[in-house]
Amino acid sequence: MSDFYIYLSNITVPMLQGMVITLSVFAVTIVCSLPLGFMFTLMARSRIAPIKSFAKGYIYVVRGTPLLLQIMFVYFGLPLLPGIGDYLVFERFTAACIAFCMNYAAYFAEIFRGGLLAIDKGQYEAAKVLGLTKIETMTRVVIPQMIRVCLPAISNETITLVKDTALVTVIGVAEILHYAKTSVNRDGDTFAFLVAGALYLMINFVITMVFKKLENKYEF
Amino acid sequence: MEIIKVKQLNKSFGNNHVLKDISFTVNKGDVMAIIGSSGSGKSTLLRCLIDLEKADSGDIIMEGKPLLKDGIYPSAPEIRTIIMKMGMVFQHFNLFPHLTVRQNLELAPKVVKKEEVVAMNTRAEAYLNKVGLLDRIDAMPSTLSGGEKQRVAIARALMMNPDILLFDEPTSALDPELTGEVLSVMQSLANEHMTMVVVTHEMGFAREVANKVVFMDSGTILEEGTPEDIFIHPKEKRTQEFLSSILREQKKKSHKKYRLKKYC
Repeated sequence: MSDFYIYLSNITVPMLQGMVITLSVFAVTIVCSLPLGFMFTLMARSRIAPIKSFAKGYIYVVRGTPLLLQIMFVYFGLPLLPGIGDYLVFERFTAACIAFCMNYAAYFAEIFRGGLLAIDKGQYEAAKVLGLTKIETMTRVVIPQMIRVCLPAISNETITLVKDTALVTVIGVAEILHYAKTSVNRDGDTFAFLVAGALYLMINFVITMVFKKLENKYEF
Repeated sequence: MEIIKVKQLNKSFGNNHVLKDISFTVNKGDVMAIIGSSGSGKSTLLRCLIDLEKADSGDIIMEGKPLLKDGIYPSAPEIRTIIMKMGMVFQHFNLFPHLTVRQNLELAPKVVKKEEVVAMNTRAEAYLNKVGLLDRIDAMPSTLSGGEKQRVAIARALMMNPDILLFDEPTSALDPELTGEVLSVMQSLANEHMTMVVVTHEMGFAREVANKVVFMDSGTILEEGTPEDIFIHPKEKRTQEFLSSILREQKKKSHKKYRLKKYC
C-alpha cells in the first residue's frame, strides 16, 4: 500500500509544478482577455467604420480557427513574418499567453455583446434624462447590469479556459498534462492521466465556487 | 410666464411623418395633458422635448433657451444643461435594477451634481416620504409593485430639482388598481404648482388635474383648450369620436371584470 503512495507522490509532485504553469497561463489570460474583450465589444459597436470592421473581422478570424493552430502560429509562425518577424520571437510561455489572450478576448467580446444587448433601451434613456454623461452611463448603469447578465457565460468560458490550457503542450510548455504524459510514457501506466484529470477537476471546483459567490453578489 | 415654447415642430421616421407643424406653449405652473389615440405622435412629441428623439425642423424653447432653433440643435453640453432642468417619468419606470431605491435616487445627484452626502440623504428621504415609500428606502426595485416603482421613479426625477416634469403614459403599464397611488402623487405635485406635461390615457386625470388639454390626431394638434373645452364641448368630430370610444372601452373593461368574477 505504501508503495502506491510513494508512486502517487512521485508522479504528482512534478504535476503540481505543471499546475503552477497551468494556473499562470490561466491567470494571465483571464486578467488580460476580459478587458481586451470588452474593448473589442466597444470597437465592434463603434460608429467609426474601420474600427468596427477591424473588431468584427478579428472576432470572425479568431473564433473561426482552432486555438491549437493559433498557439502554433504565434510561436512558430510570427517569427517567420517578413520584416517584423525578428521582433516577434517569444518565449514558449509568453507565446502561449499571447495566443490565449487573443483567442479568449474574441469569445469574451461576443459574451459582452450579448450582455449589452440584454440591457433595455430605457436604462440609457433614464440615465440621459438624469444628466449622466455617456461614460457615466456606461460605468454606473450599463456595465454593472451587463456583468450580471454575462456571469454564467463567463463562468462557462473560464472553465473551458482551464481545460484548454492543456493545449500549450504542443509548443512544449510544461503544464499538468505534459508531466502526466511523461509519467505514462516512462512507467507504461495510464494512472497518471487519472491524477491529471483530478487536478483539473480541483481547479474547476474552486472556479465554480468563486463564480457562484460572484453571481450571488450581483444578484438583484 | 412661458416655460416651454414649441413652434412648427416636424419629425419623421423615414416616410412616416409623425409630427406635423406642432406649435404650443406651456406656462409656468401649467399641467398640460396630451391625449389622443395610439400612433398620434403624443409620445414622440414628449420625447422631442427632452432630446430623446431628434426633431427635423422647428423651434423648441425651454425657459428662454433654445433646445432647437430652426431645426438646428446647439452643442451637446448646451443640450445637456437644458435637459437637466427637466425630469422625465417613463411608462416602464426605467429604475436601475442593480441599485436600491436610495441609490436610484442618489445616483444622479452624486455623479452629476457632486452633491454633499448628508444633504443628499436628507433630500432622498424627504422625497420618498412625499411619495409614501420611506419604509422601502433600502429595497431593490425588483421587490416593488408597479405603482411603487413608478412613485420611486417620480421621486428620482424630483431629486434633480427639475423646473418641468414630463410624464410618458405613467400609469399605462400598471394594474388598474395601482394607478390611483401614482395619480395622487402627480396631483399633489400639481397642487404645488410643478409644471407638468403628461401624455396620458387617464381621462379622469386630464379632466380633474390638468388646466390645459391637447388632443392630438395623426401628428397634429387638432384641438386644445381647458378640460371643459375638450371634454364637455369638443369642437372637432375626431375629438368626439375619440372620447366616446375611450368611454366605451372603459365600460367594456369594467364589464369584462364583472364577467370574470362571475364565471371564475
